[in-house]
Amino acid sequence: MFELSPEGKELVKKELARYEDKYSAIIPSLYQIQKENEGWVSPEAVDHLSELTGIPHSHINEVLKFYTMFNLKPTGKYHIQVCCNITCSMFQARELTDDLCQKLGIKEGEVSEDGRFTVSRVECLGSCDNAPAVQVNETYHDNMTPEKMDTLISELK
Amino acid sequence: MPKCTVNGIEVEVKDGATVIEAFMKTNESIAHYCWHPGLSVAGVCRMCMVEIEGNPRLQIACNTPVQDGMVVYNNSEKVKEAVEWTLKFHLINHPLDCPICDQAGECGLQEYYMSHGSYDSEMAERKVKKHKVVDLGEKVVLDTERCILCSRCVRFTDEVTKTNELGIFNRGDRSEIGTFENRPLNNKYSLNTVDICPVGALTSKDFRFRQRVWFLKSFETICQGCSAGCNVQAYYNENGFYRVKPVPNEEVNGHWMCDEGRDVYKFANKEHRLVSGIKKEDSGLSHMAPGAAAVQLREDLSDTKKAALVLTGQYTTEEYLKFVDSFTKNYGNEVYHWINNPKTFDDFDGILLRGDKNPNTVGLLRVLEGKGIKSSWADLEEKLNSGQIEHLVVAGPENLAVFPDLEEKVTLFGQAQKLTVLTPVKSKFYESADYQIPMKSFMEKDGTFVNHKGIEQKLGRGPIVVSQALTLLDLSMILDGSDFISVNSASMGGSL
Ligand code: SF4
Ligand code: SF4
Ligand code: FES
Ligand code: FES
Repeated sequence: MFELSPEGKELVKKELARYEDKYSAIIPSLYQIQKENEGWVSPEAVDHLSELTGIPHSHINEVLKFYTMFNLKPTGKYHIQVCCNITCSMFQARELTDDLCQKLGIKEGEVSEDGRFTVSRVECLGSCDNAPAVQVNETYHDNMTPEKMDTLISELK
Repeated sequence: MPKCTVNGIEVEVKDGATVIEAFMKTNESIAHYCWHPGLSVAGVCRMCMVEIEGNPRLQIACNTPVQDGMVVYNNSEKVKEAVEWTLKFHLINHPLDCPICDQAGECGLQEYYMSHGSYDSEMAERKVKKHKVVDLGEKVVLDTERCILCSRCVRFTDEVTKTNELGIFNRGDRSEIGTFENRPLNNKYSLNTVDICPVGALTSKDFRFRQRVWFLKSFETICQGCSAGCNVQAYYNENGFYRVKPVPNEEVNGHWMCDEGRDVYKFANKEHRLVSGIKKEDSGLSHMAPGAAAVQLREDLSDTKKAALVLTGQYTTEEYLKFVDSFTKNYGNEVYHWINNPKTFDDFDGILLRGDKNPNTVGLLRVLEGKGIKSSWADLEEKLNSGQIEHLVVAGPENLAVFPDLEEKVTLFGQAQKLTVLTPVKSKFYESADYQIPMKSFMEKDGTFVNHKGIEQKLGRGPIVVSQALTLLDLSMILDGSDFISVNSASMGGSL
């Protein structure tokens, strides 16, 4: 059973009080859960948050499933998120993703055998001026090319 | 009260009313999926486009308040083109499986395609595949490919039942209606989502694939399931009744009805009905026409010194008035009211459902009071236990499902020397009765039910299922001496 830490619960409480609509507390609370739950949000965690906030689980689930920055399954040590929204797609981000998956021998969303990598397509990272943009865990990498990707992967141990 | 002009027709609306409400008031047609008079405004389907004079852009009618002097229309080329495009977008990923879709014939997409369709697909992209035949629990099935994401069902579970089961998950053209972790949609009003779903995305397990809607006729009547008295539309064809749906009535049921009430058509169908009069004789049970059984009952009662009558709240006021009158006139003042579930009788779930599972308890009580009859159930029990009642006549329920005490009560009644059961439906518990006389169901007769608030509502007579079955009015005439029974078989649908 997942349960937020006392600090986590404190954060949720604060967020609830901060906005006039308590639904606004969903995103920061899910971030907190993801942080405390090894990088992903489990169904039990949604139930827990629902109980904590009184927000129906269906509506927490709506937010959870809308945003790509929340993971619905455990990810590898390095979560490589390739933006495939309009601008990045125009700069070959989709091809970049396919290429990456092939090199790592995994499908999108899967964890590589050594537990190091997960690749997923995400929506606009707000870095369109540097398309194609890639985010590895919390770090941005701009103007990616297959070559730069190779170097990056070899550096991620 | 602001005034506006809708397609050239002047109309006055309530303060704060929206343009779509002005359209509804004039009966001018306006395409819409997400707007529903019983729910909040979502403004998501974009079908209700209108042109407002002085405003360069088209607006949605459902979310635009009427201002005094507004001139609005939706019959211009500009609007027509916009609605056509919107419908095209709705259909991009639609599976077009009308041949196997239960909504066909009463589907919003089909309907608007007739008026706003382009009849020519311009899509070269592959359709997005989504989940089909998703089991949403006991009563409802979901097909997410057919859904147009109007969010009516979500708003219903948020705003009406406040059970919040449904949500819209994922993004863009992958968005789908669903429940968290596929948990069931098992609230007591779940089938209303099927009614308000404008397409075939939500369908009823009970009704699915049993009948094409264009083979059904319908009439309006009152639900028999409890003392709320919800207004309903009953659908039938020559094989019987198939479903009931709510009819809006602000004073009584708003736009909704409960799931239990959806089952009330079932016992009116032939397979559950008692079709002939039955008399117990030394040689066994003898079957006869209902009227003939009633005549024999009258003869039998005429030598009885001590007869009593038990009534359930399942008949019409007109029947009570006449029948209590002839019974008391002929056999004395012993009349009792059978309450089926005394412990939960006064319950209310805060939405519609009442604990009193009879449609006309108030009507019955009014009649008994009018006749000055004050009797207690304890009295009856005592008289039965001490063998003081020679012949007991029971006007039994038609909805046996809400009479959990049926077996126990029939055993009690059996202590009278003779027992007559008047009943629309068959039950094995009645087999020991001396007479069983078939009655008409609420679907087959005229009359009045008085709901818990005291509102009198008229039944709408539908087709006759058991043509010789009697009403308490027919039976009163027989007890009063007539051998002629008026069988009112003339009806909207004729006999089934
Ligand atoms: S399932 Fe029906 S009611 Fe619900 S959003 Fe889809 S189309 Fe609307
Ligand atoms: S609330 Fe009562 S009257 Fe209304 S539909 Fe349900 S059973 Fe019928
Ligand atoms: S489209 Fe890729 S960062 Fe905006
Ligand atoms: S009815 Fe107005 S936007 Fe749907």
